[in-house]
Amino acid sequence: MDNKISFGKRPKNPLNKRVWKDILRDWKRYLMICLMLIVTIGFVSGMYVANNSMLYSMDKNVSEMKREDGHFTLSEIADNATVKAIETGEMADVLAVYRERAYNEAVVEIEKSLNEVFKNAKDSEEYKKALSDATEEAEKKINEDIDEKYTEIEERYELNKKFEPVPVSVFELLYKDTDEVLQSKINYSGTIRVYSERVDIDLYDILKGRAPEKENEIIIDRMHAENSKIKIGDILKVGNTDFEVVGLAAFSDYSALYENNSDIMFDALTFDVGMTTNEGFERIRANTIANYAFMYNVKPADEFEEKEMSEHFLKSLITQTAVSDIDNLEIKDYVPAYANQAMNFARDDIGKDKAMGGVLLYILTAVLAFIFAVTISTTLEQEASVIGTLRASGYTRCELLRYYMGAPLLIVIIASIIGNVLGYTVFKDIVAKMYYSSYSLPGFETIWTPEAFIRTTLVPIVLMLVINAFVITKTLKLSPLRFLRHDLKRNKRKKAMRLPKWKFLQRFRIRVFLQNIPNYIMLLIGISFVMLLISMAVGMPETLSYYQEKMCDMTFASEQIILSSTEDEYGNLISTETDGAERFSINSLERKSDSYNEEIPVYGIESGSRYVNISPTDYGSVYISKAFAEKYNVHPGETIILSEKYEHKDYRWTVYDIYDYSAGVAVFMENGQFNMEFNKKDGEFSGYMSDKQINDIDTKYIAKEITTQDMIKVADQLDHSMGAYMQYFQYVCFIVATIILYLLTKIIIEKNENSISMTKILGYENVEIASLYLIPTAIVVLFSEFIAIYIGYKLMQFFWELIMMKMSGWFAFIMPLSGFVKEFILVFAAYLVITVFDFIRIRKIPKVLALKKME
Amino acid sequence: MSEKERKFLEVRGLKKSFGSGETKQEVLKGLDFTVGKGEFCVLLGPSGSGKSTLLNILGGIDSADAGEIIINGDKLAEMNEKSLTRYRRKHLGYVFQMYNLIPNLNVKENIETGAYLSDKPLNIDELLKILGLYDHRHKLPNQLSGGQQQRVSIGRAIVKNPDILLCDEPTGALDYKTSKEILQLIEEVNKKYGNTIIMVTHNEAIKQLADHVIKLRDGKIRHDTINKDKLTATEIEW
Repeated sequence: MDNKISFGKRPKNPLNKRVWKDILRDWKRYLMICLMLIVTIGFVSGMYVANNSMLYSMDKNVSEMKREDGHFTLSEIADNATVKAIETGEMADVLAVYRERAYNEAVVEIEKSLNEVFKNAKDSEEYKKALSDATEEAEKKINEDIDEKYTEIEERYELNKKFEPVPVSVFELLYKDTDEVLQSKINYSGTIRVYSERVDIDLYDILKGRAPEKENEIIIDRMHAENSKIKIGDILKVGNTDFEVVGLAAFSDYSALYENNSDIMFDALTFDVGMTTNEGFERIRANTIANYAFMYNVKPADEFEEKEMSEHFLKSLITQTAVSDIDNLEIKDYVPAYANQAMNFARDDIGKDKAMGGVLLYILTAVLAFIFAVTISTTLEQEASVIGTLRASGYTRCELLRYYMGAPLLIVIIASIIGNVLGYTVFKDIVAKMYYSSYSLPGFETIWTPEAFIRTTLVPIVLMLVINAFVITKTLKLSPLRFLRHDLKRNKRKKAMRLPKWKFLQRFRIRVFLQNIPNYIMLLIGISFVMLLISMAVGMPETLSYYQEKMCDMTFASEQIILSSTEDEYGNLISTETDGAERFSINSLERKSDSYNEEIPVYGIESGSRYVNISPTDYGSVYISKAFAEKYNVHPGETIILSEKYEHKDYRWTVYDIYDYSAGVAVFMENGQFNMEFNKKDGEFSGYMSDKQINDIDTKYIAKEITTQDMIKVADQLDHSMGAYMQYFQYVCFIVATIILYLLTKIIIEKNENSISMTKILGYENVEIASLYLIPTAIVVLFSEFIAIYIGYKLMQFFWELIMMKMSGWFAFIMPLSGFVKEFILVFAAYLVITVFDFIRIRKIPKVLALKKME
Repeated sequence: MSEKERKFLEVRGLKKSFGSGETKQEVLKGLDFTVGKGEFCVLLGPSGSGKSTLLNILGGIDSADAGEIIINGDKLAEMNEKSLTRYRRKHLGYVFQMYNLIPNLNVKENIETGAYLSDKPLNIDELLKILGLYDHRHKLPNQLSGGQQQRVSIGRAIVKNPDILLCDEPTGALDYKTSKEILQLIEEVNKKYGNTIIMVTHNEAIKQLADHVIKLRDGKIRHDTINKDKLTATEIEW
């Protein structure tokens, strides 16, 4: 032999080549995981891109479309002087104006009465003295009364607190609410809010057609038009006037069609917004609502400043309307932009979707990372001798960690790249389409944001890295010697559990079960994750249809009419002959919290009511509805605090009992107590409630009519927005369940490959082996399903409550027995499909495998 | 051979036991010996004599309870986990009874896993020729015979040109003919590259190959002899 030694170059790490070989060798597993990641990352990335683009367009629209900073509605159209005064943003000196008005009135009254007494002696000293005395007396009385009244108002509106004038520009934004009937559609009718031509404020994005130019033309909301199948060229009966639809638009102040800001949910199905020319507006026969939009002259820097400015402006508005020359001018509504649901709901919801999509991605990545980790730990066991040899030869733990992390990282990187490409191209449009089918959104341009890439690439990679690193490092910490001896169990093997004297095959199965407990725990986690998804897919439509069907039975009266005044113009009490109609009172208060202020109706019910069966309670004690109790976790004996919406006045009530009413969050008390609590006169009421339709009250006296249909608006709208997707989502869940079960049962069979091979050598047939190894897994799947159904249901209940806490109203998450059965069948069907694969897998395990290992 | 080379590997008072209390079993009961640089040393003994344990301790993958091992002036006991790994990486090569090859890497790539650990590895193609594997270099381990696989395993250990090659029953799983081929290969490697070879075996015949034979029984050294009449692998029989 030639003794000359020749040296070569240090090669690149050959283990790197092996990563690709590993992936190719087990391509089915990697493909499944990769596909799941690609679809999820693609969808979430698409969601981020669509969301960010949509949010960007919406924000841009705020300035470009001159969106209002808020609006207020007055009892009648204000005169120029009042508008100008409001625009100053200054607080009016209510005290001085009231005094002056009262003095003037008093002087006129005094003079009138003295004139009768001193008909012929107006210049007499006596007259002068009497006038002076009476005036002095009246002044004193007026001062006392006004001071007392003002102190109360000052306290209520915090007028004495620090105030900074907030100058604004006020724009007339009058509208008319009336019926909308589509000529060509017999069964369709809805409500439309028609605005006159918008020029300076709250502009609109025309998505199809054009703006109205003639008096018989109208442009309406695109979302509503799509829902109601209204097309350009259709004739729309607005009130009793015909208009031709010439355009479809997104109004900048109506991204979600909320009829009233206090509505539980927007309603793009029966509520529409439109705009005509000024002449067209005049043609509509309906009351004109004195609505005004305003813009701050100096824009607030942030939302806190905006809130503060809004509060200051409200003070100015209250005082300026109070001193207006128009008698009894009242503020009917005040909605600053930040509290306007029509403007903010879509934006908030889109933001929430992003958060939810992100969480879903992270959960799925974590589950897949665990599947990877379990797969790798099986590989570590199988390759223990090789690892021991490499470690003994000088390979560091880090080098081996890097190698074993290679495949999962590579897969997640590939999935991220493909997913992001799909997200930016295909899924973005799918998500945008979903939003367009729920909200009245303007057109959007795609914004290329790094956020989507970071969140859908970096976060999954980090998750994959951390979870796998944790599991692999734990095993790699063992000494090389233990690897060489295949001694990888952290805890020393306990003594074999003694089993009862059952049949051999039964005991064998129990041994298989005991041996695979860690894998079965993984299986339970996987099934629980799937069940959570299926709970959402099955439970959400079930909940909505439950409420849609049961709402009629749940409401205490199918019709509630709130009167604008309880007396007609002649001073007669407005009454009804409708059988079973009862008087009731209602007031809307707010339950304030950091996350969401919910408007809650407080009912005053007639004593011995047939609709709401409550006993008289003490002053300060009330009943709350079951929905209230469930939503805010309130129990009898506890105190609730509700506040006036525009006044700083709180009501503290002790909960006397829970009233079994699930259709809404509400407070009940007897009418007498109601009038005392709200400082109303004895016998006062707000309207009538009845199970029969009330037809004998003139509509001009009706301020609001609440029917069962109004109460299921939330369910209808949610069903419309999500119902169809949930059906598809159920199929997706089935596929996800199949893939996860495939991956997990594959691991279990791989771990038992050697034993299966050995049983084959011993002469067992494939069917017998399958019964030994598949039956324990099937039983585990069966039991896991029951546990997972419960876990999934509880988790979904938790998430549902989180969603509901951000909305008005309350639906408990309902899952009927049939829903649970459906969940069970979906997962078990997925398992049955996988069992076929598992059987094929068992059949393919060669006998020689065990023999090779024996060497 | 200088004193330093003569005491290239020095073992002093080495003790090792397993278990505790009543089940405590002393495997190595105080061993003292030295191995010279480039020596072919055979650790001979029946099963349970402690020879594999000794090899593992020498290789730094197991630790002793007492005593010390000094290799080329470095004390193993003073090394932490990281230094031990570095030590194994730079100075040791391992050959096991089971070949422990990476199943989805071919012959050349398996040898490269060893070459990667060295800054100055041997020429792989030349080594493949020496190992008689050049024509099989693209084959996967499962396409090779046991003897060929053991050759690959020796190639993987030797390619980084380690100071010490530790062989744990390298012929234990092989037939007579193949065993002889492997022993011949180890002999050639020892000659060509001058590595110190410590081989554990229970095959008495192999001692004839060695420069230095240490016989163990019940954890103690029964004989420590220098073989002056060593034979070649082709000459020995069992």
